Amino acid sequence: MGRLIAHRLLATIPVLLLVTAGVFALLHLTPGDPIDAMMAESVDATAKDALRRELGLDRPIPVQYAAWMGRLLRGDLGRSIRNGEPVIENVSRRIRPSLELALLAMAISLTIAFPVAIASAVHHNTGVDRLGTTFALFGICMPNFLLALLLIFLFGVTLRWLPISGYVDPLEEGWAGVRSLVLPAVTLGLALAAVVTRTLRSSLLDALAEDYVRTARAKGLAESHVIRRHVLKNALIPVVTVLGLQLGTLIGGAVITEYVFALPGVGRLVVDAVFARDYPLVQGVILLIAVGFIASNLLVDVLYGWIDPRIRLR
Amino acid sequence: MAGSIPESAFADRAAALAGAAAVSDRRWDALRRAARARLAPFGAAVLIAALAVALAAPVLAPYDPYAQDLGSALQAPGRAHLLGTDNVGRDVLSRVIWGTRVSLVAGFVSVAIAALAGSLLGIAAGYSGGRVDGLVMRVMDAVLSFPPLVLALALGAVLGAGLTGVLIALGVVYTPTFARLMRGQVLTVKARDYVEAARALGAPAWRIAWQHVLPNAAAPIVVQASLSVAFAILAEASLSFLGLGIQPPGASWGSMINAGRGYLQQAPWIVFGPGAALFVTVVGLNFVGDAIRDGLDPRLRG
Repeated sequence: MGRLIAHRLLATIPVLLLVTAGVFALLHLTPGDPIDAMMAESVDATAKDALRRELGLDRPIPVQYAAWMGRLLRGDLGRSIRNGEPVIENVSRRIRPSLELALLAMAISLTIAFPVAIASAVHHNTGVDRLGTTFALFGICMPNFLLALLLIFLFGVTLRWLPISGYVDPLEEGWAGVRSLVLPAVTLGLALAAVVTRTLRSSLLDALAEDYVRTARAKGLAESHVIRRHVLKNALIPVVTVLGLQLGTLIGGAVITEYVFALPGVGRLVVDAVFARDYPLVQGVILLIAVGFIASNLLVDVLYGWIDPRIRLR
Repeated sequence: MAGSIPESAFADRAAALAGAAAVSDRRWDALRRAARARLAPFGAAVLIAALAVALAAPVLAPYDPYAQDLGSALQAPGRAHLLGTDNVGRDVLSRVIWGTRVSLVAGFVSVAIAALAGSLLGIAAGYSGGRVDGLVMRVMDAVLSFPPLVLALALGAVLGAGLTGVLIALGVVYTPTFARLMRGQVLTVKARDYVEAARALGAPAWRIAWQHVLPNAAAPIVVQASLSVAFAILAEASLSFLGLGIQPPGASWGSMINAGRGYLQQAPWIVFGPGAALFVTVVGLNFVGDAIRDGLDPRLRG
């Protein structure tokens, strides 16, 4: 187990280096002068030169990269051009809504996916199954932003049950906070639920066909007991993998969801920074997201080895 | 000696004929399986309809998609405007029809870029091995370390708003999948006896790659490409919903949905028209992708 973790960690180092190089290169991919892209044409030349010097863009590129990496290693991700605050502060102010949204969406998706997938697998090839697989297909093909607008139209505009935008912290305001997160979390959760349903259904079907299930039934165990203790447990492994694989989609979905519902999260920060052409902020946030993404994938890998000894021993 | 040459040539041809028959049989089976898949016909119909609409957009669109008519703004769907009008009185149906072009171009071109770049990188990596392989694959891992939409957003922003930027951004995002797939195929095929035989006969590397590796690796690449198109269309719509991609007044389904979002209460049809077009297209292309996968790669069925 320790070797697996060490091996995975080592393999991450070159990837991390390339990721930082990529993020650094981002600024230099802009056609023309990046300063012109960041500041309006009307801004006078001295202000532009000042920003150029501040960002070190007047130096040769290898020197810039070395300086940037040096700051990075000391934990300095740079400053936003717009509000002058360090990237870290910009992100830490935005992280709470994003985490709350992600956790709530995850909870919603599992609450929906498990019953639907179990019903689908147990009643394989019946109307129930078809309903379940149709739901999964619907969730996978439905663009996030469209689902968000449909929910807003139905529950916000027509029925007026829930707020359609804005954020209230549920940890401070309680119920009002939860209400402000319901529609965003359902938007994000349904797509995830669809993917989990699809995976869980097919892994349940595989597990149901195993000899040990036949043995358990032959012993005279109740079907609910067989499903709970023998089938479900063995069918969970692919679900963990899929949850890990879906992380990227989840983050992308969160970007769109936060944008539509005006949630002040990290995803919204990315979009705002992109459109404000605040490149240092874009670079910093994207680097943080990528590192977080790599770290969670690492965690999923390790978790996978922990759940399934067959992987660990390979 | 002289007599043995035509004989062996005949034997060769017979073997080739038998091989060809087996191949065409396999293709026929693949096609039949694809057609038998219950939902494939619906998917194919959607794809053909979308292609037709995109090609015939100038003929099919009842109005100029850019013509504003403030007098008839926010009109509900009716006889004059089948899908209603938007906030500046443009015909929603005409804009949906023209938007089909953008979506299909985005889906097919970005996947083509990714399939081409990914295949070349995968062949280079798998074929050279060693350092080249290590470098190419680590770069691919690095690209995969970014959540796809976030990477596309950043690249699109840097490359500038417009369809080209989005096409390149999505092409980059999908490249690693194809590179990994192709590299795996190359490694498998490289170990086969017939490749070794070709090499022993002195065939140059490019000919081995072209004649032996590529045809054998083509099927999984086609499968992956057909499954990717639907997602690329979704991704383009998401990016143009966020404001990248085609700029106003150009019509793309994503940007139309974003523009209509402020009018959900008075005029929900501005969102529902392009939304329905997007959803149906993506569902249809998914069915086509699944059918192609089932047909070409029975092992993946399920």
